[in-house]
Amino acid sequence: MTDTAIEAADLALAYGRRREPALRDCSFRLAAGRVCAVVGPNGAGKSTLLALAAGLLRPTSGRLAVLGAAPAEVRARIAYVAQDKPLYPRFTVAETLRLGAELNPDRWDAALAARVVADGELDPGARVRSLSGGQRTRVALALALGKRAELLLLDEPMADLDPLARHQLMGTLMAEAAEHGTTVVMSSHIVGELAETCDHLLLVSGGRVRLGGGIDDLVNAHALVTGARPLTDLAAHTVVESHATGRGLTALVRPEGPLLLDSGWGVEEPSLEELLLAHLRSPDAPPLLTPGANPADRTAVAA
Amino acid sequence: MTTASLTPPATRTARRPLLPGAHRTVLRLHRTTLWTALGLVVLATAVTGYLHLAAQGRPGLITFLGVSNEDDLLFTYMERGAVALLLVPLLVAAFTAGPVVARELEAGLHQFAWTQADPPARWLSARLTVAAALAVAAGLAVLGVFWLGGSGLVHAQGSLSWSHSTVYAVTGPVVVAYCLLAVAVGALAGLLLRRTLLAMSAASAVTGGVLWLLSSVRWDLVPARTLTDSSARAREAWVPGGIPDDVRIVDMGVSNAAGDRFQPGQCLSWAGPGKNDYSCPADTHVVQAWVDFRPRSHFWYVQLIESGIVLALAAAAGYVAFRVLRRRTP
Repeated sequence: MTDTAIEAADLALAYGRRREPALRDCSFRLAAGRVCAVVGPNGAGKSTLLALAAGLLRPTSGRLAVLGAAPAEVRARIAYVAQDKPLYPRFTVAETLRLGAELNPDRWDAALAARVVADGELDPGARVRSLSGGQRTRVALALALGKRAELLLLDEPMADLDPLARHQLMGTLMAEAAEHGTTVVMSSHIVGELAETCDHLLLVSGGRVRLGGGIDDLVNAHALVTGARPLTDLAAHTVVESHATGRGLTALVRPEGPLLLDSGWGVEEPSLEELLLAHLRSPDAPPLLTPGANPADRTAVAA
Repeated sequence: MTTASLTPPATRTARRPLLPGAHRTVLRLHRTTLWTALGLVVLATAVTGYLHLAAQGRPGLITFLGVSNEDDLLFTYMERGAVALLLVPLLVAAFTAGPVVARELEAGLHQFAWTQADPPARWLSARLTVAAALAVAAGLAVLGVFWLGGSGLVHAQGSLSWSHSTVYAVTGPVVVAYCLLAVAVGALAGLLLRRTLLAMSAASAVTGGVLWLLSSVRWDLVPARTLTDSSARAREAWVPGGIPDDVRIVDMGVSNAAGDRFQPGQCLSWAGPGKNDYSCPADTHVVQAWVDFRPRSHFWYVQLIESGIVLALAAAAGYVAFRVLRRRTP
């Protein structure tokens, strides 16, 4: 197994010749075994990125390697759950699982798929079209997990699950991922659900990757400073975003070296949510890829 | 960087089911349609067989319908039935275009199907294979049903003549070829249009269009045979003697020594009562009567040539369908 789950270089995709590209200048690297959250506002390009990695779309330009090969060559080793959880509506739950077995004869784990469905107390004889959104999600995840993929690509997997089912399914997912060293990439626009389960983050907005890397690394690379002082004090650092608060100014900065500020400033570690919101509010802030997430760094090391 | 895959190379387990999983999936997805089609074949066979037996004079079979002439009933039924049977290729086209291909694309199911172990080309080939098997079965069913009811009724003349365009189409291999063309056109329409109803209508229209177009030129594929007769009786009657039975007459008339042909309407001089209505003026120097006709054997020539053309079109449409899919997916 390669140590890189996904590697993109200058990846771009436009859905039509005249339309704005849904994704552009997208370069990042995701190490194998990570649980990565792809976050960003609606229409940011998250689904496009996942569909590209799943081998459903052909990039307009750039390069994308998944599990060390072109996405189309490793279909058997990838599982993908699309945003609206497409399943054959006239099949029963049991038939749907059988479909998974028949379409993936070499890898299928019937026991695991059956367990995921059984945990949701789904009737195997129920038709897919009679299921609720959350139940469909469960069946779709059962298919993805049953495939025993090395890379799970999940587009908004938890959006229509109730909190209990979300917690339980996420638990199953994480346990399986941990046990088999599966790389998981899931997109979401809900930050809260990701912070506790993911260790890696890709922030996508406006078709570009804005942040990429381990969550801890990304948080540590930023500081939240508050003070009643002019912004020019921070000129030595990259100010991602600043706004006026009660008695002064709050700014998210990316320190370029030791953050030596006078006593008028208070410095604290930002929360993940603050970090993401600050980047979303200021689209012009320079992107940041932490060393392990930057393909350029890796080639530099190799050379 | 060394890449060692955990997956074993493409060695498969020894025992394999009869059909690959992708094919079984298609069969299970469309089992309702397939059972319905089978039911329709059984129904058509039963009704046709019943009317056939009634026309053979099995007493009491038909009287309760209040029909006085069983032969007329069977004849009319087969006449209309041949037209109805010609709809079968259009139905095959609509089925392949809509439920089999376009509906999956419209509902986003390809996002599921194309990310399984099998590549998208296999998704399409499984659908094409199953639909083609269905198409061949449907074509053979058309042949069987018409043969059952109409085998004794097809003669040289009339609306059930062997050369009549509907009868011709449902009594030979062309109907199977058209059903196969319907599958290929249906798959292509489904992939290109990606909308169920639109693809169904377009595929039926294109299949019907090809059927109509070829039915209007098919008899030009093989040159007609000509028979001439220079006897006085033939010149007088404008009909050569010795025309075989069971032929389709294309045209007839008289000609002069230079080979100029005159057809009824070209020599309209009225010679008076008792004479031939179409007698040509003396200066045309009619030397013989001629007839262009097609012997029954041309039925098979034309059937085979037309089947070849239709199958070539089907192969082309199928190839383009795979190209379209290939271009759309990495």
